[in-house]
Amino acid sequence: MEQKKYWKGLEELHNTKAHQEIVKNEFGEDLPFDESDSLLGATTPRRDFLKYLGFTTAAATIAASCEIPVKKAIPYVNKPEEITPGVPNYYASTYAVDGEYVPLVVKTREGRPIKIDGNTLSSVTGGATTAKVQGAVLGLYDTARLRYPTINGTETTWAELDKQVTAALGALSGQPVVLLSSTILSPSTKKVIGEFLAKYPGSRHVTYDAVSYSGMLLANEAAYGKKTLPSYHFENAKVIVSLGADFLGTWLNPAEFSKGYGATRKIDQEKPEMSKHFHFESTMSLTGANADERFTHKPSETGAIALALFSALGGSVTAPAIADKRVADGIKKAAAALQASQGKALVVSGSNDVNVQLIVNAINNQIGANGTTIDWATTANYRQGVDSDMVQLVTDLNAGSVGALLVFGVNPVYDYFDGKKFADGLKKAKLTVTFNDRKDETSELCKYAAPDHHFLESWGDAEGKTGYFSFTQPTIAPLFKTRAFEDTLLSWSGNTATNWVSYLKNEWMSKLGGQEAWDKTLQDGVIEPTTAPALAGATFAGDIAYAASKITGAKKGGEIELVLYEKVAIGNGKLANNPWLQEMPDPITRATWDNYACISNSRAKKYDEELGDDYEIHAGKKVLKITANGKTVELPLLIVPGIHPDVIAIAVGYGRNMNAGKAAGEVGKNAYPFVSYNGQTFDYFSPAITIEDAGKKYDLGLTQTHNSYEGRPIIKETTLQEFIKNPKAVNEDREELSKYGKDFRADGTLYPNHPYPGIKWGMSIDLNTCFGCGACTIACQAENNVSVVGKEQVIKAHEMHWIRIDRYFSGDENNPEVVFQPMLCQHCDNAPCENVCPVAATNHSSEGINQMAYNRCIGTRYCANNCPYKVRRFNWRDWNGADSFENNLYDVSDMNDNLTRMVLNPDVVVRSRGVMEKCSFCVQRLQDAKLAAKKAGRPVKDGEAKTACQQACAADAIVFGNVNDKESRVFKIRNEEQTERLFYVLEETHTLPSVNYLAKIRNKDAAPKAEGQHEEAAHH
Amino acid sequence: MHLKYESTLREPLVDGVKDYHKVTEDIIGPIEAKPGKLWYVGFFISLSLLAFGVFSVTWEVYFGTGVWNLNKTVGWGWDITNFVWWVGIGHAGTLISAILLLFRQGWRTGVNRAAEAMTIFAVMCAGQFPIFHMGRVWMAFFVLPYPNTRGPLWVNFNSPLLWDVFAISTYFTVSLLFWYSGLLPDFATVRDRAKTKLRKLLYGVASFGWTGSTKHWQRHESLSLVLAGLSTPLVLSVHTIVSFDFATSVIPGWHTTIFPPYFVAGAIFSGFAMVNTLLIITRKILHLEDYITIGHLDAMNRVIVLTGSIVGCAYLTELFMAWYSGSQYEFAEFYKYRAAGPLGWSYWIMMTCNVITPQVFWFRKMRRNIMVSFIMSIIVNIGMWFERFVIICTSLYRDYLPSSWVYYRPAWPEVGFYMGTFGLFFTCYFLFAKYFPVIAVAEIKHVLKTSGESFKNDMTKYEQESPEKFAHDLEHAH
Repeated sequence: MEQKKYWKGLEELHNTKAHQEIVKNEFGEDLPFDESDSLLGATTPRRDFLKYLGFTTAAATIAASCEIPVKKAIPYVNKPEEITPGVPNYYASTYAVDGEYVPLVVKTREGRPIKIDGNTLSSVTGGATTAKVQGAVLGLYDTARLRYPTINGTETTWAELDKQVTAALGALSGQPVVLLSSTILSPSTKKVIGEFLAKYPGSRHVTYDAVSYSGMLLANEAAYGKKTLPSYHFENAKVIVSLGADFLGTWLNPAEFSKGYGATRKIDQEKPEMSKHFHFESTMSLTGANADERFTHKPSETGAIALALFSALGGSVTAPAIADKRVADGIKKAAAALQASQGKALVVSGSNDVNVQLIVNAINNQIGANGTTIDWATTANYRQGVDSDMVQLVTDLNAGSVGALLVFGVNPVYDYFDGKKFADGLKKAKLTVTFNDRKDETSELCKYAAPDHHFLESWGDAEGKTGYFSFTQPTIAPLFKTRAFEDTLLSWSGNTATNWVSYLKNEWMSKLGGQEAWDKTLQDGVIEPTTAPALAGATFAGDIAYAASKITGAKKGGEIELVLYEKVAIGNGKLANNPWLQEMPDPITRATWDNYACISNSRAKKYDEELGDDYEIHAGKKVLKITANGKTVELPLLIVPGIHPDVIAIAVGYGRNMNAGKAAGEVGKNAYPFVSYNGQTFDYFSPAITIEDAGKKYDLGLTQTHNSYEGRPIIKETTLQEFIKNPKAVNEDREELSKYGKDFRADGTLYPNHPYPGIKWGMSIDLNTCFGCGACTIACQAENNVSVVGKEQVIKAHEMHWIRIDRYFSGDENNPEVVFQPMLCQHCDNAPCENVCPVAATNHSSEGINQMAYNRCIGTRYCANNCPYKVRRFNWRDWNGADSFENNLYDVSDMNDNLTRMVLNPDVVVRSRGVMEKCSFCVQRLQDAKLAAKKAGRPVKDGEAKTACQQACAADAIVFGNVNDKESRVFKIRNEEQTERLFYVLEETHTLPSVNYLAKIRNKDAAPKAEGQHEEAAHH
Repeated sequence: MHLKYESTLREPLVDGVKDYHKVTEDIIGPIEAKPGKLWYVGFFISLSLLAFGVFSVTWEVYFGTGVWNLNKTVGWGWDITNFVWWVGIGHAGTLISAILLLFRQGWRTGVNRAAEAMTIFAVMCAGQFPIFHMGRVWMAFFVLPYPNTRGPLWVNFNSPLLWDVFAISTYFTVSLLFWYSGLLPDFATVRDRAKTKLRKLLYGVASFGWTGSTKHWQRHESLSLVLAGLSTPLVLSVHTIVSFDFATSVIPGWHTTIFPPYFVAGAIFSGFAMVNTLLIITRKILHLEDYITIGHLDAMNRVIVLTGSIVGCAYLTELFMAWYSGSQYEFAEFYKYRAAGPLGWSYWIMMTCNVITPQVFWFRKMRRNIMVSFIMSIIVNIGMWFERFVIICTSLYRDYLPSSWVYYRPAWPEVGFYMGTFGLFFTCYFLFAKYFPVIAVAEIKHVLKTSGESFKNDMTKYEQESPEKFAHDLEHAH
C-alpha cells in the first residue's frame, strides 16, 4: 500500500523555506523571553525579570524540598497470623527478678514489647506495678547486654562453649560445682538446677541476695520452724507499725504491699476510717513519709525499739531505756494502738538482724497478727538467701575447694560487702561461668559467659507464694545470640533430648492435664488456688530471752551512725543501667542520677550547708569523706528533713563500672563495702563512722529544690478526727467563695460557658492513697516516649517528665509531715496556655483535652510561662534525633541507639527539639477505646479508657473517666462519694482544671495546724 | 520687614555665629571627610561584638535553646528582658520626632535625627530576641497571618505575642518612613555638594530626586505631620502591647493592670537616657556642641526625672496593690521573692538606678553637667534593664507551685546574644554617623533664625523697645 502523506498545512505540503526554518527550531515560535544581553537594557525587562524570578524561585523551592530522606520500611512477605500492624498484642508474663513477684501483661506492637502493666488476674498484686517493674521493658533493649557467648571475653559459638565447659566440668575430678544465684522463684528452674547439680556430687546451689533478708528467714525458723517468709496482709490491718521496713518502696514485694496498704487508706466520707500507721526508722523512707506517726532513732537502737515495744505490749523482757522522750512516747502510743486492735494489727521490720526479727515475731504473736494479718498457710518465696551460706562459699573459694563456680544473676564482686575477697576466691576456681546479661563486675572475671535471655524473651514460671504461680512466655524472639539459662544447664547435664520449652511444658502439662489448660494458663498468666486457703497462724516457739540478751548486749553506736538503704527506682543496683529509672526523681530527695549522703539540716550546718536560698540555688553540694569499717567513700551531702540528726544514709546500687552500661556506669559511689557481717547476717548499718569535709563540691541533679508548700491552698489536708468532726472544714475557703455564686465555672467569668455535650474526660487523684512511689512517672515515660535528658540537663531544670510527684515537707524540721502531690497537665477548660500561643499550637478538644500540635509549635515557651502548674515541658535540645540539624543529638545514655529505640510506642510521635510537650491524658489510648466502642456500636464504658499513670498506680489513687457519664467512677467521686474532700488546685485562678484532688487525711491525734504555721517548717 | 522673633530669655537652640552655609558645612562636612581614628576603633569593636553575637546565636539555633539556662519554670530570661529593653529604648526617637513635633517643641530639631536613628536600630536589635528565642526559628513565619494550605490555619488573634508581631513591625515601618522622609532634603544637600561621582549617584538615588521645589517642601511638611499623627498613638501603643505580654497572663507579678502606662513611662525614661548617652558622645566626636547644646541635655534630663518618678510611683503602686489585692501569691511574690529572696538583689539595683539616683536631676546644675548626665544615662539604662529582668524573671522563678521554683542565671550564649545586639546597634550607629547627616540640617536651618544664638542677639534692641512701638513697627514695616 502506498504510504500516505498527511500534512498539517500548505507550508508543510510545499515544504517552504520558512517552514524548514521552523522545523529546525525546537519551538514553533520564539519563546516570550527577551534574550538581550543586559537584563535592565532589554525591551521588556521588568516583566521578564519577574518571570525569571518566578521560575527560579519555584524551581529552587521544588529542588530544595525534593530531598526527602529515604526511610526503609520493609513489609511482611507473609504476614504472621497474629500480628496486624497497628494492633497491639498482649502477653502474660512475670517480673521475677531477685525474688520480687509481679505478674504482668506485656503490650507488644509489631512484635516488639513496648509496655508493661500489672496482671489484674493475680490476687497477689491485683495488677499493681512499681516504677522498677514499669521500667523493666527498657532493660530488654539495653545496649550493654551481652550479645553472644564468650570465652575469655571473645565471641564464640554455643557449640564451642558447650564443648569446652562440658570438658572442664568433666575434669573437675570430684571438686564441687557451686551455682550461685539470687532468689529463684521458678520451681521448674530449680528442678533443672537440681538435676544438673546431681550429676556432680558435693555440688550445691547457693542463694545470695544482694540486699539480704536472711535475718527474717532465720528468725522465722527459730520462732516457727519455717525458714521462709509468711504472707503479709496489710489490707486486714487497722494498726500498722513498721520498724524501718520500707514496704511501699523497697521491702520484699512493694507492689503487693502498696495495694494492700492502699486499701486501708481509702476514705469513705459517710463513715470515715483508715488504718493508723506508726513508723520508726533512721532515715526518711518512702513508707515513713506516708506514716501517720513517725519517729526516728539511730540504727543501732533498732533492737532496743523492738524490745521496748514488746515490753510495752506486756512482753516478758526488760527493755533498755529509750533516751529520746518523743520516741519513748511514740512506742507507748504504738503499743496501746496495737493492743487495742488485737487481731487487726501488724508489725513489720526492715532489720536484717535475727534477734530483732525474732522480737518482732514475738510482738506479732502477742498482738494476734498470726492468722489475721500474717498468714503462715501460704508462705512467700520472695527471698531465700542465707548470708552464712554466702560467707561460707567465699571462704571455700579462697581455700580453693570449689571446682566450678556458676554465677547466675548475681554480682558479688560489686555487691558483696567484701567484693575483693570474693573476686580473689573466684580466681581460684578451676571453672568460672557467668550467665549474667552483661559483662558486669563479676562476669568480667569469669572465663565463660553464657548469657541468659531477658525475661521478656524467656519461658518460665514463678511461684511467688505457695500455690500462686505466674508464667513467663517470650514476647519477642531473642534479640541476640543468648540462650536460656535452663537450656544451657540442660545441655550441660547431658539432657540433650529435651529443651527448656518442652521441659517446662511437660512439667505443667502433667500438672494441668492437657494442652487446653496449658494454653489457658499462658493466656491468663497465673494459676492460683480456686478458693484462697484460709489464713493460718503458727505456734511461736522462739527464745525471746536469748534474743533480748543479744540485743541488749549489742555494741552501742557512736556519735554518728551510717545506714544503707535501697532507692525506690534503682533498688539493689542490678538493673541500674536503666536511664528511665536513673532519671526518676527519688520520692523523698527528688534527686536523680546519683547517690549521696543524706544528712540532717542540723548536722549539715557543721559543713556550712543549710536549708535556705543558698542551698537551693546551687547544684553544687559539699562533698563529705565518710569512713566506716575501714572503708572510705566521698559523696556529696544532701539535706533530708526527717532523717535522724545523728544519722547519715547512703543508697546502695550505685557506683557500677562502665561495663554495666552507659547510664549506670560511674554514677554515684558503691556503698556496699559499708555492709558488715555480724557472724550470722549482714548488717546494713554502721554504728561508728567518721565524717570529714572533703573540701570540694559536687553537682546534684534535683528536680525540686524548694521543700515547703508555703501554706498555700494547693494542698489540702486534715486529720481523721477533724474530718469526722467537721467534714466541711477541708473546703472552708470554697464555702467562702460560694457566696458569689455556686457555679464557679459559669459565675467566674464574663464569657459564655463552653459546653461539652459528648465525652468530657476528667481525672481524680486521691492524695490519701498517693504514696509518691513514682510508678506513674515511669509508666507515662514508657507510654508516651518521654525523653531522658541526663544529669547535666536535670541540673538545668530541663527534665521532661509529663507527670511528676511534688513532695512537700511541713512541720518540724526533724520530724516533718510529708505530702505527695502528683502534678500533670490539668487540662484546664479555661487554659492560660491556650490563649497565649501565637500560632494556636495548643488548643482545646471538644472532649476537654488540652492538646498540643507539635508540628505547629514554634517554641516561644509563652504557654509554659503562663501555666500556673508548670507542667509544660520544652524540648530544649534534640533528645531524639528528630531534628533537622545533623550532629546535634543530645543523648547521654544510648536512648537513641537503634536497639533502644525499639521501645518507643509507635502510637506516640517523638518530639523534635524546640517544641513544647506535656501530658495528653494518653490521648492515643482514649482514641483506641473510642474506636473499639464505635466498632461495637456503643458508647465508651467506664474503665475502658485508662491512662498509663492510672493503670500503673498500685493504690488506685488515680481515677480517670468520662465525667459526663453518670455511671463513671470519676463522676461518682466528684458528685457523690468524695464531695467533702474534693478540691481543684488553684481553682481561684479560674483555670477550670479537669483534674481534681482529694484532700489528704492523716490519722493522727495532733490538732490541725493553724494557717501560716506550715510556713515555719522545713522552710525551704 | 518680616521678623522672626523669639524671646532672648529662651536659650538659643544653636550656639555660635552661624549662617545657613556654616550649618551645612558643620553637619555635612564630616560625611565628606575621612572618618577619624576614634571612628575606626569604635567601628571595629562594634563589628567584633556583632560577630560574637552571630556566633552565639548560631550556636543556639544549631544546638537548641537548651544551651541557654532557661528552664521548665523560667521560660523567658535574658532574651525577653533584652527584647523589652531595646524596644523601650526605641521609644525615645519617635516620641521626640512625633509628639514633640506636634507640640511644636523647637528643641527637638537638634536631637531628633539621631534619636530616630537610634529608635530604628534599637527596634532592629529588639526584633532579634523574639525571633531567636523560638525553639524552631525556621518556623517563625507561622506567626504571620497569610492564606495557607493548612486548613487554612490562622494565627491565634488572642495571643499578646501575636499583637507584638503587629505592633513591633508597624512601629518599625512607620519609624523608618518618618526617619527617611526627614532625611530626603538632607540627602539632596549632600548630593548637591558631592564632588565624587559615586557619592553623587548614591545620594542621588537616596534623595529620591528631591529638588527643593516649593511643592516638595509643602508635601514634605504634610507628610511629616501625617506620619507624626500616625506615630503618636504608636509611641503609646507599642509598649502597651509589649506590656500585655505580661499583663494578660496569670502569673503573679505579671498579672497587673498598671503595666501599660508604667511600661510606656519606663520606655520613654530609658529611651531618653539612651539618646543622652549617644548624643553626648556624638557631639563630642563630631564637634557638634553648637547644635546639641547643654540646653538640649537639660530638656532631656527633665523628661528623665519626670518619667523616672512616674516609674517610681508605679513600683510603689505595685507594692501597694500586692498587699491590697489580698492575693497571697501576689503578696508573696512582691514582698518575699522580689524585694527579698534569691533574686532580690536585682530588685534593689532597679530601685536604686531608676528611682533614687535620677532625683539628682531636680537640680539645674546637675541637669546641665555633661559628666553627670552621661553617667546618669548609663545608670538609668542599667536600672531599666533590671526592671525588665525583675518583672520577667523574679515573677517566673517563684510562681504558684513551690515545687517548680528554680534559680536562673544566664549561660554564655545568652550574654553573647545581648552583646551581639550591642554590636549590631553600634555598627549601624557608626555607619549612620559617618554616612548620614546626624542632625537634621533642614530643620536646624528652619529654627536657626529664630533660635540661633547670633540671631537672637540681634533681637536685643527689640527687647528694649516698648511693646506698643514693637507692634506698630511690625504692622507698618512695609
